[in-house]
Amino acid sequence: MLKSVIEWTWVLAIFGVAALIGNWFGMDVLPWEAIPGMLVLIAVSLVGLMLEKALPFSMPAVGYIGILAIIISLPWFPGSDYVVAWTSQIGILALATPILAYAGISVGSNWADFRKLGFRSFLVAIAVFLGTFIGSALIAEVILRWQGII
Amino acid sequence: MEKVELKTVIKDWRLHAIAFILVAITEAIGQFSIAVGPGVILLLPMLYAFFLGLGLYFTPFISEKNAKNAEPLIILGVTLLIAKIGVTIGPQIEAIIAAGPALLLQELGNLGTIFLALPLAVLLGFRRESIGMTHSIAREPNVGLIVNKFGFSSPEGRGVMAVYIFGTVFGAVFLGLISGLLATATPLHPLSFAMASGVGSGSMMAAASGSLIGAYPELEEQIVAFAGASNLLSLSTGLYFSIFIGLPLTEKLYSIMMRRSERKAAKGGGPNA
Repeated sequence: MLKSVIEWTWVLAIFGVAALIGNWFGMDVLPWEAIPGMLVLIAVSLVGLMLEKALPFSMPAVGYIGILAIIISLPWFPGSDYVVAWTSQIGILALATPILAYAGISVGSNWADFRKLGFRSFLVAIAVFLGTFIGSALIAEVILRWQGII
Repeated sequence: MEKVELKTVIKDWRLHAIAFILVAITEAIGQFSIAVGPGVILLLPMLYAFFLGLGLYFTPFISEKNAKNAEPLIILGVTLLIAKIGVTIGPQIEAIIAAGPALLLQELGNLGTIFLALPLAVLLGFRRESIGMTHSIAREPNVGLIVNKFGFSSPEGRGVMAVYIFGTVFGAVFLGLISGLLATATPLHPLSFAMASGVGSGSMMAAASGSLIGAYPELEEQIVAFAGASNLLSLSTGLYFSIFIGLPLTEKLYSIMMRRSERKAAKGGGPNA
């Protein structure tokens, strides 16, 4: 466990550096202003990864991480003002850019499989993603309007 | 995640240096938008980063080993993204609860996949492959479900793998491109698309909601919170949704469609006439 935790910390820290660079170049937030928020996010991720290993439930780490992050930022949670203020220095896109940079590098190895797909599979796959996206948006639109939220 | 040793991943300085440079360059370039009819396609740094990264794979800068080492960074990077989304949801918990009915019911929108894609797949000549292809967006739990039920080398298994591969390579980029376009070109509200962005994959959600934020920066906090809550819901309920609703419905519709085309064939014309 300890070995895993140390390795996770390293990988998260490397990714954190990439995100801080993106945050700096893209949103003009100086890295040292965003470091406290990044440390909070890394800590939450580490706890979630540890819970996944330690607890017997079949919930993935991202489940624990999402719930934990929501709880510590609820208005009545002690210190949540700091959590929210610090993490607000990190833009969501600054985290998305390095994910897609690494994803681009990584999917190269799937390229051979991808090329074998053929045009018909490609069309169906596009319809699959379009279908769920538009379907969900239509239902959300109807209910949100009906509730008067939008 | 245990496929590669994390120790070697951490020490792959070449990979990380390239990723840092990609992020710096793409973020420095910034966002562009192209007008397409009434809407806009947003070109965001994350899209350039993806394509530059993919392009580098075919150069000597990135080896097969570097590419494999990138996988744990995606998985752990997504955990940071989920943490960031969580701390954006917390302060808005009342708004999320108020939007609860919409959040829950839009999960049914996943059925849109079946109604749109299944007829297309059958029309294009796929047979039982189409069940694997169109019962869901084919993320890892769904691949598991299909392989478990039909076997990896079954037609259904081949079908689910085809959509899985497409999603892995282009899912995030595709949703990123269409979400900005649809939100600006259709009368639907960006917050409806924010909920739709939570398809159950961290990188796809980030790309889809990222484009929405690019188009509507004043709604950033709400977009992230709605997309994130919807994604969390999809992650926790998506597999059960497929087991009890998505897959049975796909199989039922498929057999109805097949029966109809058989009847047509029996009448004479044949399916292709």
